Amino acid sequence: MTTLYLERASAVHRLNPVTKLVALLAIIAIVFAVPQWWIPLGIVVLVVVPAAVLARVGGRLLRLFLILLLPLLVVLFIVQGFFFPDGTTVLWQWGPARLTVEGLVFSLTIGSRLSALVLGSLVFVLTTHPARLMTALTQAGMSSKIAYVISASLQIIPAFQERARSILLAQQARGLEIAGGPLRRARALLPLIAPLVLGMITDVDERSTAMEARAFGATPRPTSLTVVDDPLSERIGRWLLAAAAAAVIVLVVVGVIA
Amino acid sequence: MIELRDVAFAYEDAPAFTLAHLDLDVAAGTIMGIVGASGSGKTTLAKIIAGFIPSTEGGTYRGTASVAGAVLSEGTLTEAVDVVGLVTQNPFNQISGARFTVREELAFGLENRSVERSQMIERVDAVADTLGLTALLDRSPYALSGGQMQLVAIASMVVMAPPVLVLDEPTSQLDPAGTRLVYDVLARLSEGGTTVVIIEHKTELLHEHCDAISVLASGRIVSTGTPATVFADDRLSTWGVGQTRITQAAREARARGLLPVTALLPVGVSDGAAVFAENGAAR
Repeated sequence: MTTLYLERASAVHRLNPVTKLVALLAIIAIVFAVPQWWIPLGIVVLVVVPAAVLARVGGRLLRLFLILLLPLLVVLFIVQGFFFPDGTTVLWQWGPARLTVEGLVFSLTIGSRLSALVLGSLVFVLTTHPARLMTALTQAGMSSKIAYVISASLQIIPAFQERARSILLAQQARGLEIAGGPLRRARALLPLIAPLVLGMITDVDERSTAMEARAFGATPRPTSLTVVDDPLSERIGRWLLAAAAAAVIVLVVVGVIA
Repeated sequence: MIELRDVAFAYEDAPAFTLAHLDLDVAAGTIMGIVGASGSGKTTLAKIIAGFIPSTEGGTYRGTASVAGAVLSEGTLTEAVDVVGLVTQNPFNQISGARFTVREELAFGLENRSVERSQMIERVDAVADTLGLTALLDRSPYALSGGQMQLVAIASMVVMAPPVLVLDEPTSQLDPAGTRLVYDVLARLSEGGTTVVIIEHKTELLHEHCDAISVLASGRIVSTGTPATVFADDRLSTWGVGQTRITQAAREARARGLLPVTALLPVGVSDGAAVFAENGAAR
């Protein structure tokens, strides 16, 4: 299954996934609404990182930060910090590269927003099992068909990768050479496409028969084997988070936060 | 329970009818085995009995297929699904992809029929126990072997307890123990009143477990009867159906003069032993 989820016994894990999703969306709305670079950074330092530590996924978050985000932040800092076209307050110059205050602020703003978005999302997926998320969303009223599309893409794609591997193996067994340079390897993948795509089309037909045989979509309100707790405190918390995000957006729009 | 009258079906753009002038009767609470060569129309027949043809398949459909007195083509697919459970050939494609554990996978159909949670838990646990899946309940359905997936696919349908169960090659990926388990469950369901239709190549198994056998050849039922009579039929190989090894041995013995030409051809192990003993060939 394509998931980063880490099984831990923590309060963050136990939260209703919808609460975590609303918190994530509120964070994203706030960090992209406010112009100050230090607010998203503050949210990362005061909310996202403590949540990751509390959920005991801090180590994985750090690794993912170093692999995914840090290279991007470095490039952002170099490009925007040194080559920001509207930069006037020059701090240091070497040839065409000019480190400007405006460029620095711009790269900090974008970088801190990006960090809040990516790290917040990572904490969400690291602490939320897709099954629990789907159940919670369906309980909250999301269509079971949409839930199916999400769950299926998380599970069926790796299954198809497995199938691609077995087709490749079958072709190798009949003499297909895949070792060699990148061009040769790419060429070797071509014969894989037809059986894989045709197989997938046949599968879709059979899978839809199997789904219909199990009455998928027959009732608008299916019951659920797994139930995700949704206490009143979390429901109130969600409304407060949504209200806070809305309030920040309003304050930015009317000019109180500028 | 199942009545097919003069049923014919041709897939869209197909040059010929897959099934033509097909009649079939399956009595309530019995197990009917359908045999036939590859391409004889067995899967098409399974889909007709389960109500998927004509409702989900384009093409030309004629005739009447009724289950429990209701003509399937006149109702909705949901109505048909409530009466007939269909287990298709490829277990991989029967895993819904919508659920993350075997337990949830087994409950998927029950959820879709709005079954109460407490009842769901009970039924899932019971079917898992019967088909030896209890240890796998918390595993991902995609992390299972082909045989385990096939058991899950069968269990997912059995748990819905439809009055009629149609299984298209349900044991193709199972080992002998898994196969026995499935047939034991089907026998128990049949004793409980469920009507079972099995499409299967393993004639020994069908002989052992079915009340009746129908042979499908060139799109129509060419022979129906008890397993003993159908599987001893000399024309079986011309219909593309393999005889059991006991029948083959008896035929060979007859050709070598060890059994009289008039001796009935046995199909199963016990009647084989009886025929050989009776005719002195066992010595």
